[in-house]
Amino acid sequence: MAVLLELKGVGKAFGATRVLEHIDLAVEDGEFITILGPSGSGKTTILRMIGGFTQPDQGQILLDGRDIAHDPINRRPFNTVFQDYALFPHMTVAGNVGYGLKVRGTANAVIKQRVGEVLDLVQLGSLAARYPAQLSGGQRQRVALARAIICQPRLILLDEPLAALDVELRKQMQEFLKDIHREIKTTFLFVTHDQEEAIAMADRICVMNYGKILQLGSPTEVYYRPHSEFVARFFGDNNLIEGVAGDRGSVATPIGTLPCAADGTEPAAGAKAFAVIRPEAIRIGNEPGANTVVAGQVSSVNFGGAATVAVVDVAGVPLRVKLPSRAEGLPLKVGDRVQLAWRTEDCRLVAA
Amino acid sequence: MKRSPLATLLLSLVTLLVFILLYGPIFIPIVTSFFTVKYGSVDWSQMNLDAYAKLTGNEGVIEAVENTFIVGLSAVAASLVLGTVIALHCNSGKSRSRALLQFVVFLPFLMPPIITGLSLLIFFREVSIDRSMLTIIIGHTVFVLALVYRTILVRLQGIGFSMIEASYDLGASAPQTFFYVLLPNLKSALIGAGVLAFALSFDETMITILVTGTQNTLPLRLWAMMRLGFTPDINALVAIILALTTVMVLIAARYLIPKDFAGADA
Ligand SMILES: Nc1ncnc2c1ncn2[C@@H]1O[C@H](COP(=O)(O)OP(=O)(O)OP(=O)(O)O)[C@@H](O)[C@H]1O
Ligand SMILES: [Mg+2]
Repeated sequence: MAVLLELKGVGKAFGATRVLEHIDLAVEDGEFITILGPSGSGKTTILRMIGGFTQPDQGQILLDGRDIAHDPINRRPFNTVFQDYALFPHMTVAGNVGYGLKVRGTANAVIKQRVGEVLDLVQLGSLAARYPAQLSGGQRQRVALARAIICQPRLILLDEPLAALDVELRKQMQEFLKDIHREIKTTFLFVTHDQEEAIAMADRICVMNYGKILQLGSPTEVYYRPHSEFVARFFGDNNLIEGVAGDRGSVATPIGTLPCAADGTEPAAGAKAFAVIRPEAIRIGNEPGANTVVAGQVSSVNFGGAATVAVVDVAGVPLRVKLPSRAEGLPLKVGDRVQLAWRTEDCRLVAA
Repeated sequence: MKRSPLATLLLSLVTLLVFILLYGPIFIPIVTSFFTVKYGSVDWSQMNLDAYAKLTGNEGVIEAVENTFIVGLSAVAASLVLGTVIALHCNSGKSRSRALLQFVVFLPFLMPPIITGLSLLIFFREVSIDRSMLTIIIGHTVFVLALVYRTILVRLQGIGFSMIEASYDLGASAPQTFFYVLLPNLKSALIGAGVLAFALSFDETMITILVTGTQNTLPLRLWAMMRLGFTPDINALVAIILALTTVMVLIAARYLIPKDFAGADA
């Protein structure tokens, strides 16, 4: 894929606080890329710099090889879906959606036709004459999206657009956004602090913390192959076992020396490190194909819907094991002595 | 707890009495404007519009009313334009100069009018501007600007930045953003502020006395007439003004009380 937009060494400080440190990020044409990070990590600031609402202190933002970091907002071929939607309350849905064309001097007949098309695309055709105050949250969301896509921008910026919606509607809107993305093939840059949302939607995830990009990769990459303790902890309930890195990606821990899959990002031998194992990668009992086997005692079993999580104490280290639930319950009781097994490629090594 | 019917009746009577004492005087001129007043006593035998007819012939009062409207409308127009510009500027960021500007805008409203009037008088003399209708208009604009500015600023803060950013984001220029997005959302605040500013200008006396040339506004005229005693047509004038004021207050209330956009444009 071709690169659409490239951030090079972008930095930003508000007064004495450095909010972004030397950000390098290449957004590919047509992809759905998600910036994921905890609150205050600088996600919105990146988005606002691309949109032109804030200027970077250092670095370049390249579009077609040209630095647009200091171009005015209204000259950038990007459109934004704001977190609070920012719909114009005095205009109807059709007025809101057609605004971008109207200010470009498009003929009324053309505006009318395009608004009709875009409203059909977001399934709001019947509500064109309503005012924003007469819409539900999900409907407003879709108006904001329609308003952003009508001018056919090169890039659509979305800042936590689903944060205000309840869980059910959120899931629907995630699907919906993906569908729209497939349909119009425009590049989406989506900001969220919700890792499940990022995994469900993105082609690539860019994980941030404290104004730095920690890892950039596909959802499976960042999920299964974390490069840092932060990323390992951020994606759900990973087991992190502290130890000291050895040769060839192994790590010496209180439960033994564990072999780990190496991909060149692990800490040097002798450094403090964590072995990272996803709870669903651990099997109970000595399975064929498993490279690592440890023994321990079950200290709790918690039914959690689709999965049941058992905590097994292995030489003082609690390991979470996630197993598919069964109606008759799992053949596991607190106090049982069990063997835990996993494959080397499911165990990762990150610096402590 | 339940009140006895007697207590309720007594309370109602007391309330009524208070209302009559407080607001009764306002209605006396209205009532008397429809009757003939002779030698200081009202002739209740016959309703008529004589007072109103006489008012149309009272050139001094009519000219004063005209002046009051010219001054009021001009001051409203000037203060709305100035207030909008200053509010837009002050809302766009934070700085010392903005804080100072805001302070200067509020100053004439907070100072006793006699001080504001004297300062203006001295200023006009120093830069040799002859006192005229223009100086009255300037004086009134300076006086009502604070209120207009404040009303517009509060509304701007309520509108917030994201709507403005959205407009730019969609490709609009600054003038387009102002006319398509800001102005429609400011409209009701502008109308409300305009009505209030007009009401303030209407009965402004102290500053006017100091900065007027030979022109009379209505308050000045009435004040001058007090020494000679009022003629019955003044009752008619008061009645008309009361009616006008009521309409104005209704308009101001309609536009200044914030409400959500319930669909139809406010
Ligand atoms: N205008 C500003 N002035 C000063 N500090 C700011 C400003 N805008 C953002 N910050 C600071 O920059 C940091 C990053 O803010 P940003 O809004 O980018 O975070 P975020 O990742 O979007 O967080 P959230 O998930 O809460 O929206 C925060 O510490 C914030 O306090
Ligand atoms: Mg944010």
